Amino acid sequence: MKNIIELIKRHFVFILFVILFIFSGAVLFSSNRYQRAAFLQQSSDWVGKIYGWRDELQRYLRLKEINDQLALENATLRAGMPDNFFVLDTSVGQKEDTLRRQRYSYRSARVVNASVNRENNYLTLDRGLFGGIRPNMGVISNGSVVGVVSSVSDNFAVVLPILNSKFQESVKMKGSGDFGLIAWPPGSDPAYADVRDIPKHVQVNIGDTVLTTGFGSHFPNDLLIGYISEINDQPEENFHRIKILLSTDFRKLSYVQVVSDIFKEEQDSLLNQQRIHDDTDTP
Amino acid sequence: MTQIPLNILRIVFLVFLQALVVSRLQVLDGFILPWVYIFAILMLPFETPKWLVLVIAFVVGYVMDLFSGPMGMHMTACTVLGWLQPMVQRILSPREGYEVNQEPTIQKQGLRWYLTYAGILTFCHHFILFFAETLRFTPFFYQLGHILFSAMATVVLMVIGQYLISVQKGRG
Repeated sequence: MKNIIELIKRHFVFILFVILFIFSGAVLFSSNRYQRAAFLQQSSDWVGKIYGWRDELQRYLRLKEINDQLALENATLRAGMPDNFFVLDTSVGQKEDTLRRQRYSYRSARVVNASVNRENNYLTLDRGLFGGIRPNMGVISNGSVVGVVSSVSDNFAVVLPILNSKFQESVKMKGSGDFGLIAWPPGSDPAYADVRDIPKHVQVNIGDTVLTTGFGSHFPNDLLIGYISEINDQPEENFHRIKILLSTDFRKLSYVQVVSDIFKEEQDSLLNQQRIHDDTDTP
Repeated sequence: MTQIPLNILRIVFLVFLQALVVSRLQVLDGFILPWVYIFAILMLPFETPKWLVLVIAFVVGYVMDLFSGPMGMHMTACTVLGWLQPMVQRILSPREGYEVNQEPTIQKQGLRWYLTYAGILTFCHHFILFFAETLRFTPFFYQLGHILFSAMATVVLMVIGQYLISVQKGRG
C-alpha cells in the first residue's frame, strides 16, 4: 500500500496528465460541432456575451461602411423591383412525337392593352419578336379564337381581334361543316359577331356551335368561336344572317396563347409555286 | 510574488487577444492560423510546479475551447503542451541549471534557446491541435504545411511580442 502511494506521488504529474488527456480526448470525440455537453454549455453564456460586446464595438467602428453598404443595397433592391423589369418570355409549349408531326406550337402572352368599344379594336401583348411572335400568328384564349397578330415589335405584338372590321376568318358550322365568314360590324356589341355566306339551304339553329376551319392557317382546325344566338333571315337574300355569341369575353381578356403554324411556310410556298407555275403557263 | 498576478493577467489578455482578434485573421484563407495564446503557457516561470503548469494549460485550453468551435481540441493540445513544457525546459537547461526567479524569455536565455524552446512546444501543440480539429491527414502536404506555417507564424509573433515588451520596459 505504501509502495502504491509512493508510486503515485512520484508519478503524480504523469498520472494527472494521463487523466486530463483522456478526459479531453473523450470530450473531443464525444462532442460534435452542433451539440455540447451540458456542463460545458453553461459557461458559453458569458462567452457569447463577450462575443456580443466585440460585435457591438466592431459594428460601431464600421458604421460608415455599414451605411454605405445599406445605401448600395437599397439602390440594388430598388433597381431589382419587379416594376423595373420587362419580362422576356421565350417559353414555347412543344411536344416531341415521332409518329405525329406537331403542326401548331403555343406561346403564352399577357394582354397589356386592349380596347373593345372602338370602331376597330386592337390588343397589345407583352411578347414580340424576341418572344417568338411573328405577324399572322393566331391568338387564342381558353381554346377559343381571339384574333390574329398584325404587327410585331421587339417586345410587343399588336393583335387584330375579332372585334375589328379588318379581321377575316372562315368559319364552319359544327356538324354540317358548311363554311361561312365571320365579320364584326364596327362599333357593335363586343360580345357578338356576324356570320355571313352560309347558304339558306343549310339548316342552322340557335345554339349551334361555330368553329374555325383551319384554312387560313392562323388557327388549328375546330377551334371554338361562338354559338349562334340570333338568325335574322331576309326573304330576298340567299344567305343566312346569323348573329353569334363569341365564346371569348374580350372585356376580361388577360392571358392568351399565340399559335404558330409550323407548316405555314411550306404550305404558302407550295401555293406560291403553283401560282407562279400557272402564271407562266398561261400565255 | 508579483509573478502570480502578472501571469494571470497575461493569460487572460492572451486568451482574449486570441479569441477576439487573432482567430479572426484570415491569412491565405485560413492556411496560416497562429495560436498565440500558448505564449501564456510558455512564459510560466521555471519554478512553477509541473502539476500546476499542467492544470493551468488544461484550464486555458478549456477556455479557448469555449471560444472556438468543437470542445476538446484546445483541451487536448494544451494538456500535452502543459506536460511537455517542463520536460523541454529541463532538456534545454544549461549545465548549471536556471538561475532563480528567471523567466523563459529571449532577454534572459538568448534567441537561439528561445527559438528551440518555443519551436518544439509550438509545433507539438499545433500538430495535436490541427489533428484534433480535422482528425485526418488526407491532404498530407497541405496539412503538414498548414501546421508548419501556422507554428512558424506563432513563433514569429511571440518573438515580436517579446521584443515589443522589452522595448516598453527599456523606455520605462
